[in-house]
Amino acid sequence: MRSAKLSEHIVVPVANESDARSTAAALEAYRFGQATVVHVVEKGDGVPDKTPVEQSEQIATEAFQAFRDTFPAAETELVYDRDVVKGITDVAATVGASAIVFQPLPGGRLQRFLAGDRSLRLITEAERPVIALHGGDR
Amino acid sequence: MSGDEELAKDLGLLSALTIGVGTMIGAGIFVLPGEAAVAAGPGVAISFMIGGVISLFTALSASELGTAMPKAGGSYYYVNRALGPLFGSIAGWGNWMGLAFASAFYTLGFGEYLATFLPLPSVAAGPLALSSFQVGALVAGLAFIAINYVGAKETGNLQIVIVTLLVGILTVFSILGFLQADISTLRPIFPAETGGPAAVLPATGLIFVSFLGFAKITTVAEELKNPGRNLPLAVVGSVVIVTLMYAVIMVVLMGVVNWRQLGPEFTATPVIDVAELAFGSVGLAAVGIGLLTVAGLLATASSANASILASSRINFAMGRDKLISEKLNAVHPNFATPYRSIAVTGGLILLFIVAGDVKTLAKAGSVLHLVVYGLLNVALIVMREADLEDYDPAFRVPLYPVVPVLGAVTSFGLIAFMDPVEIGLSLVFVGGGLLWYLVYARGKTETEGVLSRTILRRREQLPDALVSAAVTVQPDGGEFRVLVPLAAPEHETDLITLASAIATQRGGTVDAVHIVTVPDQTALPYAAAHPEEIEEDYHAILDSARHDAETFGVDIETHTIFSHQSFQEVFQAARTHGADLVVMGWGENSHGSPGRVESAVEDIVMDLPCDFLVLKDRGFDPEHILVPTAGGPDSALSAQTARLLRQEYDSRITLLHVSDDREAGEAFLADWAETHGLADAERRVETGDIEASIARAATDCTLIIAGASERGLLRRLLGGSPIIELLEDVECSVLLAEQSHGRGYVKRLFGR
Repeated sequence: MRSAKLSEHIVVPVANESDARSTAAALEAYRFGQATVVHVVEKGDGVPDKTPVEQSEQIATEAFQAFRDTFPAAETELVYDRDVVKGITDVAATVGASAIVFQPLPGGRLQRFLAGDRSLRLITEAERPVIALHGGDR
Repeated sequence: MSGDEELAKDLGLLSALTIGVGTMIGAGIFVLPGEAAVAAGPGVAISFMIGGVISLFTALSASELGTAMPKAGGSYYYVNRALGPLFGSIAGWGNWMGLAFASAFYTLGFGEYLATFLPLPSVAAGPLALSSFQVGALVAGLAFIAINYVGAKETGNLQIVIVTLLVGILTVFSILGFLQADISTLRPIFPAETGGPAAVLPATGLIFVSFLGFAKITTVAEELKNPGRNLPLAVVGSVVIVTLMYAVIMVVLMGVVNWRQLGPEFTATPVIDVAELAFGSVGLAAVGIGLLTVAGLLATASSANASILASSRINFAMGRDKLISEKLNAVHPNFATPYRSIAVTGGLILLFIVAGDVKTLAKAGSVLHLVVYGLLNVALIVMREADLEDYDPAFRVPLYPVVPVLGAVTSFGLIAFMDPVEIGLSLVFVGGGLLWYLVYARGKTETEGVLSRTILRRREQLPDALVSAAVTVQPDGGEFRVLVPLAAPEHETDLITLASAIATQRGGTVDAVHIVTVPDQTALPYAAAHPEEIEEDYHAILDSARHDAETFGVDIETHTIFSHQSFQEVFQAARTHGADLVVMGWGENSHGSPGRVESAVEDIVMDLPCDFLVLKDRGFDPEHILVPTAGGPDSALSAQTARLLRQEYDSRITLLHVSDDREAGEAFLADWAETHGLADAERRVETGDIEASIARAATDCTLIIAGASERGLLRRLLGGSPIIELLEDVECSVLLAEQSHGRGYVKRLFGR
């Protein structure tokens, strides 16, 4: 059975303005149906957040705007979750995404490890196809 | 985004309470009792009670301000808002440095506990001599900073577990100790060696560091669930809890071991000695030592941790008000932490650990916090007296004005009982904050305090000296330059009038620039030498601009620029002339035909060099200004412009917001008006079609000031794409505001 197109409705997680810009640039070369761009505000859930809510929301707004500079039709989804990866996969489930498309954040092995290696978790935990982009302007 | 606001609030009462109790309890019980015992003998229990009462006044005031303004930054934010950026600078720097001192103090305490079971070396290298405590503290300090830098998350309930455990251990300790205590050991309560009852207040100064923590709850007020109830309960509750615990435990300590034996010459960790005796009575001496050591480590670590986090919040709030560089608050792409702020604070903490001893650090931290607390109480009085319509705290201080007055008097008063060294050290930072404002921040910040606004509004009834003092320290945002590119003579007067009005209000100058468009085939140097060949009477427009500005009483400079591309030249001029604001016309005769410059504009306008106001001129009349807003970054500029025009012309302002949901819309607009200093403007909330609503509202207005709702409106506008038709349809003048987002050259060149 081959009914669904892989790029029918993609969910694109972005971390900040430059990540959003770069991801959008990498995505520009491809065709896809609908895009929902997601930013997860990492909550402390019982402890104070890493950054003030106001700053977190500002980062989200800037990231969305940067993405929409390239793809004005993209839907945006702001999520508050203790777990960034879960926040992304939850949105993908809610909108019924055909795939999650992301560009791995820059940074070496140590940084990845310390940040919780979200790329790996996203690939293994998402219950749908995950596409890693490369290029962008990074 | 306002609908999601609730999702951002995930701290309950217990979490908030543990932030306060967890921060405070580390210092009082685990680090200071020895020093405190030597300072005042058994009477030091009273010192702790007095410290608690002083804190309680400020805690009540902080609760009211926190429920009225649940903003990141806490104490600093309230002081800045109420008393203006001069005091804001002092409070911000004081709070930041106070937290760094206190963190160094907590970390040093942690080092002392570490040294009880780890054989730490002491270091002596040339002039640098470090005790084993300091070595332990440096290692621990690095660890705390690293944890915050990479944003390692404790599981949500860990803090609650730690604090509950601490309170539990201390309760058992108190009970066992109490059974061992001998009341006679407590006599005399005020021993003559320490100076009798007179030693109590200086001792309060020493131990006040044990109470720094309740105000940290207010720095995360925006994350609290039901802040109207939980904030006051947590702030006041944590003060009451720790005060009682301190008093009881001091009595127990000094009932078990004579106060003379608790001093630093005998032991670094008196609590553990007493635990050995108290738990020893039930045959569990080792367990007691173990438990209290763990408790000491946990308590000091959680204090240090909370302080580092709180200081990054204060940095954020100061950056938002442009009192420090926003760069400090950049967020790490992978760790999502304000890593620079944490690194800078961390560096200071390590420096203080190396340089200071426990006592000096504690007291310097206290003095700085007391300054902030005193100002906070004054801020509350100002907010109440200014009688702002939008000041509506869910919790109100009882017995106003007694509580804040006592809070201010006792906070400032306690400083007098500190030693000159600590006061001097703190004055360096207070004076530093003052200098910082005058030299650095005054030229950048634009936030004006409620106090000076109130003074200036009531200037008729107030003494001249006060009014002029308020004017002198007003933020000026640098020498404010308004650049006015002039093209068509028919709009010159209106543009210059608008620019002059703004320049007058900002105490700045107008910079009129006439851009002469030179045909491509004519060389620019030739044109400059023979301007009259390009444009007959080319100087007339600047002459009349000068005349208009001088009529207005504002300083004006005039320049003629020859260019092939008039439109690009506007941006170029804004950069080279260091403009803060460009006021330009928009219309058929203004700056070349839009279609022609489209491609060229595209690239430049991505990053506005400064703020832009673009006037669609149908006659300038600021009598009744309509400000439609949907929020967003550019709405701040339209609000500010409306405010300035109102100050100049006493304009009537109507705010308009169109929303799907009337109630949400009204809440949004009220909040927006408050944040942007337009709380007293008329508010109009409508549902349905945005354009129709604006058109309706515009019929009895003389000027519309609209913010570019998204980045790049100006680009589309001037790039020849379809202009929002509505703005063409209305009969009055329209002023479009687009704010510069400060993307610097470096960022542009390298793309990130």
